[in-house]
Amino acid sequence: MDQQIVNAIFIGSIYALFAVGYTLVFGILDILNLAHSAVFMLGAALTYSLVVNHGQSFWVACVLGIAASAFMGLVIEYVCLRPLRRRQAPPIAALISTIGLALIIVAVIEQGTQGSLFQWLWVDGANSVAFPAGTVPNPIWHVGDLTLEARKVAIIPITLALMLLLGYVMRYTQVGRGLRAVAENPRAARLMGLDVDRMIALTLVISSALGGLAGILFGVAIGDISPYIGRDNVEVRGLAVIVLGGMGSIPGAVAGGYLLGIVEVLALVTLGGSASGGVAFAALFLMLVLRPQGFFGTRLRERI
Amino acid sequence: MNRMRLVCWVAATLVIAACGSSGSTGGTNTSNAYAGKTIKFGAVLSILGAGGVYGPQSRDGALLAVKQINASGGVNGAMIDLEVQDDASLAATSAQKAQTLITASLDLALLGPTLSNSAVAVHPLAEQLKTPILAVSTTGIHIVPDCNWTAASPNSTPCKYVFRDSLGEQTAIPDNIKSYAADAHPSTGVLLVAQDDKFSSDGGKIVQDTVGQYNIQLLKTIPFSKNAADLTPYVTEAVQLHPDVIFITSLGAIPAKIMTGARNLGFQGQFLGGNGFNTATVSKQAGAAGKGARSASAWYIGNTFASNQDFVTAYKNEYNKDPDQFAAQGYTGIKILADAAKRANLTFTDLAGDRDKLRAAMESVNIQTPLGPFQFTSTHDVKQTVWIIEMDGAGGFKLDHQIQQS
Repeated sequence: MDQQIVNAIFIGSIYALFAVGYTLVFGILDILNLAHSAVFMLGAALTYSLVVNHGQSFWVACVLGIAASAFMGLVIEYVCLRPLRRRQAPPIAALISTIGLALIIVAVIEQGTQGSLFQWLWVDGANSVAFPAGTVPNPIWHVGDLTLEARKVAIIPITLALMLLLGYVMRYTQVGRGLRAVAENPRAARLMGLDVDRMIALTLVISSALGGLAGILFGVAIGDISPYIGRDNVEVRGLAVIVLGGMGSIPGAVAGGYLLGIVEVLALVTLGGSASGGVAFAALFLMLVLRPQGFFGTRLRERI
Repeated sequence: MNRMRLVCWVAATLVIAACGSSGSTGGTNTSNAYAGKTIKFGAVLSILGAGGVYGPQSRDGALLAVKQINASGGVNGAMIDLEVQDDASLAATSAQKAQTLITASLDLALLGPTLSNSAVAVHPLAEQLKTPILAVSTTGIHIVPDCNWTAASPNSTPCKYVFRDSLGEQTAIPDNIKSYAADAHPSTGVLLVAQDDKFSSDGGKIVQDTVGQYNIQLLKTIPFSKNAADLTPYVTEAVQLHPDVIFITSLGAIPAKIMTGARNLGFQGQFLGGNGFNTATVSKQAGAAGKGARSASAWYIGNTFASNQDFVTAYKNEYNKDPDQFAAQGYTGIKILADAAKRANLTFTDLAGDRDKLRAAMESVNIQTPLGPFQFTSTHDVKQTVWIIEMDGAGGFKLDHQIQQS
């Protein structure tokens, strides 16, 4: 059981890191950015490709992967969201627009094979790949009955440090205050002299950078990078996490991530593998019915 | 008079010989009987999605066979045109693509689909539309012979138009377990089975039904979803039971992830699996963690059948890499269809009639292939040598045993 708790904390960290990107955008814009899972995948795929196909060091590739993910945040804003905002389109239009972008990103990676138009980006098509052994040192420690892999353990402090940093930025910096003002009331923020469009773009850049980083950490720790890791492995769980924690709440996303990780593993141990797979959906459903605002969510003004 | 009789005998002999040389399919099957025509075949394969680990090799093998046949004059002078459609590993897409190939492209016969999950949707369609379809990688239960497609509407009527050149798990998994039990005498096992596709769940049932025959106690069956973000909790469950063997029935990259996770957790036993192991992609993904992982395969690169050596050489020349089981089965699929087409006396004017003639000719295929001498059983399944192989830890396989099916 001890090992399973470690497993739960580890996967909870991935969920939390991924879900923070979701919740950040929801908190500011009141929309779900469903391209987030594709950015998660893109961060991992691009970093892998830079290491394996372009001979870059892992750390350089990481920086470039996160930078590319952040850039995708700008693409989401300028291509999917801002034009719709200008036309005062309903939130559902933005949601569908981001789904469209996600499909395009996944399709581009899928089509990346040797000799294809996208071979500079990805050459493994639909295949799942993993970073070559030794790309990231991975000593394995045995502590009592526990087996601890360094690259999995490292995710936990990275996640917590990033969440603390994000919390600090949101609460104590000029940028954070600006973002919170936009979340509270965009019109009032504009009247107060804030460049709301710039703040929204910044939100998407931060969110996408976090999503890309989460993808890289997932790829390193799980050893599974394919065009489908965002869509199949984390997207629905990310939604469950932000519903559990409270939509728009950063502490809620962190707590929800760990909670879902623990609940999934507990379900596996106590109810068996068949039940474990449905836990995210059950949690999503129950929370929406019993406490729609989640554990940490209250009112819009308190989301950030 | 004697001279006249001799001339008559010689003339009669020449006439009979001439008739005989026109073949066993009715006298019009000369080597250029189809000259100027095109024989259209279709293939529904999984290039993207979970089956993307297998489908591209099937496609490459099939295209190589088409290229070779066309370069050597075609099928009785007709060129083969193979249209490959990607079903993205989705059953509904697979059925839609198959329907298009059958009813819009008017293909004579189809290969595929890659996954058993998709075959459940596609094969009934081909049967209904009376179009021969040859499964080149599907290995689940009921793919052939009885077309028992769904538990909800079981149908034990033998398939008429569905054939298979891939080794069914009902043969492969028991042969593998029997072989490993004889070699290593394992006493306990745990089964990790993906519960969301037919191939994997069928494999799990076969493992459950087989292990007892070889005195292996199945300590636990652990089902999982292929979409689990992390399989480590499932693998931990398995490893903590300290089994001698972990059975894995799943597709794509998952077996490799399980192997790596289990080794990291200190598992010292062995992995046994099915056709899902049998591609270099999976062996490479597993790396050192997969060393010794065993499966039964329809094909082995080092098999000494003459046609296999030719195939391996041609494939390497064409694609600059080694073929795998799926490439060999795709290649064989086209060779089978071409041989049947050659003997079928196709009219090229009556598609329904030609499809039926092709189907009938497929039943009597008897050719040399990379899989060995090839014939279908009376229920359209494959009867062939089984190769017990194990991953070599470096992305390849080595041969453990060769089992000749009686």
